[in-house]
Formats: sequence, C-alpha cells, structure tokens
Amino acid sequence: MKQQTKLSEQQQQQHAAEQQTQQQSAREFANAEEMLRYDAAHTPVPPVIAQRLQKSTGGPTEPKTSWWKRLFGGTHP
Amino acid sequence: MNEPAAGCEFVAEAPADLASAEFSSLYAENSRAIYYLALRFLGDPQKAEDATHDVFLKAFRKLDQFRGEASLRTWLYRIAINHCQNLRQAWHDRHMFSNADDAVWENAAAGTDSPLRVLEIKELGQRIQKTLDGLSDEYRLLLLLVADEELSYEQVGALVGQSPDAVRGKLHRARKTFAALFVKTA
Repeated sequence: MKQQTKLSEQQQQQHAAEQQTQQQSAREFANAEEMLRYDAAHTPVPPVIAQRLQKSTGGPTEPKTSWWKRLFGGTHP
Repeated sequence: MNEPAAGCEFVAEAPADLASAEFSSLYAENSRAIYYLALRFLGDPQKAEDATHDVFLKAFRKLDQFRGEASLRTWLYRIAINHCQNLRQAWHDRHMFSNADDAVWENAAAGTDSPLRVLEIKELGQRIQKTLDGLSDEYRLLLLLVADEELSYEQVGALVGQSPDAVRGKLHRARKTFAALFVKTA
C-alpha cells in the first residue's frame, strides 16, 4: 500500500514535470515583435565586446577603474 | 542651425574621465539593443560582435558630434543600420543560421536558466533567425526596430526613411509574412 502511494507520488511528480514542459514549449506570442522582444531579452551580449572596446578606446581616456570592469564587476587593482 | 540639446553639449568639452563615464552609460543602456539588431540582421554572432564593437567605437569617436536632434538610442541605431547594411552589401555571403545560436550560447556566461529552458530559447532563436532570413531586408529591419519598445513609430519611420503611416502599413504586412514563414520553421 505504501509502495502504491510512493508510485503514485512519483507519477504525480512526473506528470507535473511533463505539464511544465508542455507549458514552456507552448509559449505563445501575440505578434512577431513580442517574440523578438522575448528573444532579445534572452540574448546575452558577449562580454568580449566590452573588453575589445576598452582596448580600442584605451589610452589617455581610460578612467582609473575601467568602464567595462565597472560594468561586469571586475576587481579593483 | 540646430542647437545641441541641453545636457548633450558638455560631452565634447568634457574631461576624459567624464567622457568615459558617459560612454560607459551609453554602452550599458544600449549594447543589448544594438547587439541584437546586428545579430538578427546579419545572422552571424561573430559578425554581430564585430559590428557592435565597431558601432560603439564610432559612437565613442563621434560623441562630440551628437547634436541631440534624436535620442541617443536612435543615433546609435542609425550608425548600426548603416554599418550592417554596408557589411551585407560588401559580403554577399550567406550565413548558416543553424550555427548562429549555438555560438551565442557557447559564448554566453553561465546563466540561471535550466538546461531545458536554455534549449527552448535557443531553438526559438534559431527559428526566429530562419524566419528573418526569409524576409526582405526592409521587413526584417522594420520588425527589429518596432520590437524595441523605446522607439516610436515616428522614430522607426525616420530610421527607415518612411512616414509613420507607411511604417504601420508595412508592419502589418511584415507581421503576416513573418507569421507565415515562422510556421514553416517548425
């Protein structure tokens, strides 16, 4: 009886996980822009761009703590 | 002649540190929008990375020329659109959309999303890229700009050389074309 209960709990958990999966894959968007906004929000900007910019704009304009370190949480010297 | 908007004219005469602080803020607020436009317009993460770097470098060098006639976001978009269109015209190559989102996620810092969710977003990104590839440059650019909630129809119109009414009309057709193509990517 206890084993049946245990199985039932496992099945319920599996069912809940499947439901969650279905809900995630069944995401709907009202229009193309909404989909693009969602995509943009989940598209990370490669940190290497800021590092490259730091080099490109370096020299006399470089602040004491570089702007890309402040942006990405680099350690202070 | 047009005068610089209040708050913008100090950049040209600013001490170096202040100019860098301004640029830091400019990058923080706009890099995602510019990178996303470049990524989806060019369809290649490496090219998008190079383009984003070049766009912000141009902006850094020309900050003193920004006269405040448009928002900084619109100004950056104008630089980015010109840059990306020039690249596309020069390259005449076709990218492999199937690799685009792999590279984006391989290079991304570890996030908090579960593997399932990352997969879902990655697959969506691939389908979006494939769909955008099937659109004309005009429709692709229009949808990408309208998707930026910070831009008004007037600003989008100014960027693509159309009236706001023309933008609305073309947007309707672009949406329909996008939806029809997107279904086929399933």
